[in-house]
Amino acid sequence: MITFEHVSKAFDSLKVLDDLSLHIAADQIVGVVGPSGVGKTTILKLITGIVLPDAGTVRVAEGSVGYVFQEPRLLPWRTALDNVAAPLRAQGLDKKEARSAAARWLERVELDGFEHYHPAELSGGMAQRVSIARALAAEPRILLMDEPFSNMDVTLKGSLIAILQGIIKERQTTAVYVTHELTEALQLADRIVELTPDHRLRELDLSDRGAVAREWLATTLGGLKV
Amino acid sequence: MDSTTPRKGLRSAAGPRASVARRTRLLYAAAGVAAILVGWQLLSLVVSPVFVASPAETARALARLAWEGTLWTQLLITLKRLVIGLAIGAGVGLILGVLAGLEPRLRSFLEPLRWVGMTMPAIIIIALAMLWFGLGDFTVIFMVAAIVVPTMYVNTVAGVLALDRRLVEMGGVYHFPRKLFLTEVYMPGIASPVMAGLTLSTGIAVRAVVLGEVLGAMDGIGHAFSRAMSYLETSELFAWIVVLLALMAVVEFGVLRPLKRRVMRWRKVAE
Repeated sequence: MITFEHVSKAFDSLKVLDDLSLHIAADQIVGVVGPSGVGKTTILKLITGIVLPDAGTVRVAEGSVGYVFQEPRLLPWRTALDNVAAPLRAQGLDKKEARSAAARWLERVELDGFEHYHPAELSGGMAQRVSIARALAAEPRILLMDEPFSNMDVTLKGSLIAILQGIIKERQTTAVYVTHELTEALQLADRIVELTPDHRLRELDLSDRGAVAREWLATTLGGLKV
Repeated sequence: MDSTTPRKGLRSAAGPRASVARRTRLLYAAAGVAAILVGWQLLSLVVSPVFVASPAETARALARLAWEGTLWTQLLITLKRLVIGLAIGAGVGLILGVLAGLEPRLRSFLEPLRWVGMTMPAIIIIALAMLWFGLGDFTVIFMVAAIVVPTMYVNTVAGVLALDRRLVEMGGVYHFPRKLFLTEVYMPGIASPVMAGLTLSTGIAVRAVVLGEVLGAMDGIGHAFSRAMSYLETSELFAWIVVLLALMAVVEFGVLRPLKRRVMRWRKVAE
């Protein structure tokens, strides 16, 4: 579905990706973890094609792409409904059909009743849910998510992860989920790859997710006993 | 406020405090108008009527012009030139501004022309227009358009450059076609500076049309004003000033502000 072959990318003189090779099969949910600045977002942008590699090739199967950005990136002058409808209109649906489908997706993310609210009237968490609905409304073959829950409390995060997991599995969508929070990836992903600051890619062994989580927490919290 | 609580903007009532503030502002504005009228009256008592007509004499002249039909004829002529000139100037400025905002090479190419347009005094533009086109409608319309284009252009370019690139990137990811980009991202995104440009341009256009008619036409409010001044018909001159101010008031309060409120109503929510 998605293949990176010896991909390198630099921005100005800063090397972000170096000889990266990665294959993501269809219907997989792959988590990409690593500290800030290692190139996780760059991987997503290479998949969308808005950024091109300096070396190597990125092959992506045909099909629509949904993208949940780190910040909601909603059009401030449009309602939640019209924001979700926009990608559908880009696909050729007329306004009425797009709005009807958008309303159903807002309901899926538990925002029914807020269709006519503008982004400024929504909390950060609600705005991000609209962004998620927008990404899903396009019924993407590939769903890309860039730290989508970074502005949310734990309860909301948990409920949204559950909603997303259900929808992704139901639609057999291929998903790439970027986060610096390994525990989120452990809840959602089938596979997790770790990008390190020295541009290495490491596949994590998920046979014991609890152990992986404990190890990560121990590393993150320093000397604290977990 | 937790992460599920929506912020209430437009949806909540304005509240009694906002209404009181608004009424207070209107009261002060009315007091300002009254002060102008009182000042005008006092001035007319101490200065010769050749130089300053009183409010009452002005009102009588206004009534006469309206009764004769002259007021409406000249007003319509000026309004026609204003609307056409403003439409052409604002349209050209907007289109060039959007294109230049998106394309740095075009922006650099147009920069010298922009500088000339903004630096050239209006009187030079009307003189050139008269040289090229003689007297009449076309000359005045040309002048208005030529003066408006740089202002609209500069505001539009600023708007495009200030547009949130993340929204443009979002549109790119979702493969927005060009039309959707324009209607959903660019035009609403630049609406605020464009409206500011349009408001500024309208004020400039009214001044330009009057100047153009004073020098380059045989009719219109500007020409009538010039004629009244030549014959020292001061009360008529002041009447035309009042007509001009009324025209500006109708354009600003009757057209531009409602348009701005409609276009920018989402901003009220954000505030």
